[in-house]
Amino acid sequence: MSRETGTAARRIAVAVVDDEEVIRVSLCRLCEALGLSPTAYASGQEFIESLDQGVPRPDCLLLDAHMPHMTGLELQQHLVGRGVRLSIVVYSADDAPEARARFFAAGVAEYLRKPAGSDELLGAIQRAMAATASGPQNPQLQTSPRPTVT
Amino acid sequence: MSQERTSAILEADPPAFPLAQALLLFAPISLLCNAVGSLLQYPEIGSAVLFPPYAALTAALLVSAPRNWIWFILADAVALLVTSWPRWDLSWVLLADVANVARALTAVLLLRWLLKGPPRLDSVRALVLFVISAVLIAPAVGATLGAANVVLHGASATYWHPWSTWFMSNALTGLTILPAFILAVGSGARWRRRRVSRQRVVEVLLLAGALGVTTAVAFLLPSAGRWHPALLLYAPLPVLIWVALRFGPGGASLALTAVTFAAIWGADRGTGPFLAASPDGNVLLLQLFVLLTTLPVLCIAAVSSARRSVAHLHHALLASLQDHVAILDSRGIVLGVNASWRRRADTSKVALFHRTRVGDDYVGACRTGAEQGDTTAARVLAGITSVLGRDHRRFEMEYEDSCDGRREWYALGVDALERSGGGAIVTLANITARRQALIEIEEQRYQLSHLARVAALGQLSGALAHELNQPLASICSNAEAARHLLKRQPADLGEVDAILRDIVSQDQRAAQVIRRLRALLKRGETRLQTVDMTELVNEALELAHGELIARAITATAVVPPEVPPVSGDRVQLQQVLLNLILNACEAMDSTAPPDRRLCLVVASDARNNVQLSIRDCGTGIPPALIDRLFEPFVTTKPEGLGLGLSISRTIVAAHGGRMWAENNAGGGATVHCLLASVPAGSERAPFSSSAVDDRALALSRLAERTPSFPCQ
Repeated sequence: MSRETGTAARRIAVAVVDDEEVIRVSLCRLCEALGLSPTAYASGQEFIESLDQGVPRPDCLLLDAHMPHMTGLELQQHLVGRGVRLSIVVYSADDAPEARARFFAAGVAEYLRKPAGSDELLGAIQRAMAATASGPQNPQLQTSPRPTVT
Repeated sequence: MSQERTSAILEADPPAFPLAQALLLFAPISLLCNAVGSLLQYPEIGSAVLFPPYAALTAALLVSAPRNWIWFILADAVALLVTSWPRWDLSWVLLADVANVARALTAVLLLRWLLKGPPRLDSVRALVLFVISAVLIAPAVGATLGAANVVLHGASATYWHPWSTWFMSNALTGLTILPAFILAVGSGARWRRRRVSRQRVVEVLLLAGALGVTTAVAFLLPSAGRWHPALLLYAPLPVLIWVALRFGPGGASLALTAVTFAAIWGADRGTGPFLAASPDGNVLLLQLFVLLTTLPVLCIAAVSSARRSVAHLHHALLASLQDHVAILDSRGIVLGVNASWRRRADTSKVALFHRTRVGDDYVGACRTGAEQGDTTAARVLAGITSVLGRDHRRFEMEYEDSCDGRREWYALGVDALERSGGGAIVTLANITARRQALIEIEEQRYQLSHLARVAALGQLSGALAHELNQPLASICSNAEAARHLLKRQPADLGEVDAILRDIVSQDQRAAQVIRRLRALLKRGETRLQTVDMTELVNEALELAHGELIARAITATAVVPPEVPPVSGDRVQLQQVLLNLILNACEAMDSTAPPDRRLCLVVASDARNNVQLSIRDCGTGIPPALIDRLFEPFVTTKPEGLGLGLSISRTIVAAHGGRMWAENNAGGGATVHCLLASVPAGSERAPFSSSAVDDRALALSRLAERTPSFPCQ
């Protein structure tokens, strides 16, 4: 699992939050192969703890919708509650419109259906970051300092 | 006698002939009888050796309706007048007729009352009642009035002498001529329709000849009286017994009447044995002789007739049976078979031992079959030998037979014959239809459980999609990563190799999910196999994994290593477990997510019975429903059909186990499922109810033990 951060040319930092190891490993591999800089977290709590410990915020959060204990939606709401504004791509095997609608209502920019190819993944990350950069879509969300996007 | 009783007796049976026809027949018979009676009279007291008019009138009244009786009584009175007047004066004739009518009415009313139907003599009981009514009481009534008449007209100085002669002559009439008349009138209608076989005619002719010869020897030969008359008296007896045995009471009374007339005729001609004393003494001797001969002969006739009718009933009963029945003696020789057995024996397609007929050796046929390798014959042989040897009172088996290319099922029963000679009754019944019905029920039960399984999987579809999507997603990401890695120069082949390994393992994981799904979805034969409880529990939890995550439920499973495997249908047991897990999940909908705990505990006892308990922390079962929870259409869920638990219980019962539910002390409910142990190497029908009964006791003992829940 790669935990490198950006070196010479600043790579996009991606946090992968998924309870299942095989998914974490494969997603990180793909991100690595696509030239991104992934960090994996096994649960929402783990990710929040990393923020608490001062680990730099990622440029984009790849979030599994279905996790025990803290679902993707709960983590998103937690982050909003803390005033953390992140570009989030939620992925799920559940393609039902209601599921998408719930996440969009909570301020998630992109919803990716599993399994997704590399182009879809990259596209979603870029769109999510662009959407966050272009300003708040949800008036409730507060603007917060963000890393620059290449 | 009450009024209703009287009327019931009077209307006992409809007349055999229309009145006019009956009267036309009766008048000449009555006239003839009275003429004969008059011929046989003692000149001085007006009483006869034998008095046929009593028999004629009584028989006529017995078979006619009471409202017509007056006509027969009048006809009889006219006949008496014609034959007696002017020898006797009118007042004598009138009083004598009163005595005659009283005697006939007494006999008729008593017979109707006691025998409750047309008079019969074909049982000892009927014969005794007949003798009491028509041979003792009615002649006594007649004699009492008749003797008074004789005394009144000064024909006799004493009352006793005319009484005894009246009584004896009427008793004799009642015993000889009356049965012949009654049976002749009663069976007249039947005889017209019955075809008589040639053998029967020959037998009648032979008997008539024999009777004629023996009677002539006994009573009519001039020399008979002087030579050993006591021995010659017995000459007609063998013939009479023969008649009684072969022709019953009717034939016997006809023959006895003939013998009586011959004896009277002989005495009148001065031949035969009754010549020793005075005329009065001769008559009394003759009457006593006939009485003593008639009673045993009629008794033999009644007994043989009763036996014949019982035998006939048994024969009819056997013939009416659809089942094939054969009776064997203690050596296994066929003593008798019913019509159904005979028909089956005529078809050549059945096994050798079922082609046996009366006189054949059934056990020998079974032995031959067994020696030729027929396993059914071998089983039948073993069973029959044990019953004939009195080791068992009953043996039964079911077997399959291919008859005419059709597969048929038979149930064979062998019952010991409870008699001194031993033997057995073999009953063979075709149970194909019953068996078919059972198979159909089983098939329907299986279809229903399959539908329930499909429905349960439908309920899980979201979770199952997740289960399949995880490996697919992993494979997809890995493959894409490998593609990009291979484009780099130099390609990191070590990483690509790791990726490919992961792809293979994830592909296998997906295939595993599909295999399990397929097993649950497909309709296959019920298969008995050894099912490991750890595997069963793990597979069910893996199938439900997605559902458990979606509902934020923490599941714990405790399967101690010493729990033995159970014997059963893996797919059906999986279905039960899955159903119980899903029910527990739904029961915890209103429980706060941190408290949503599901606990599976498997325990076993010394007898290797296995108990599976599923505990949830949900709302529990309403007390009103707890006893009916496993009935169809009983549910605690708003959208539930109420079939899941009922089908689960059917499946568990078919495995020889049982299911029950209880509420936990600390909230939520526990469903227990007890699966019976199966002794190693034993053969058990998977779905027989007896398997459940046998194990009920052992199961209830285990049920009393409350399993410990480490997850409480």
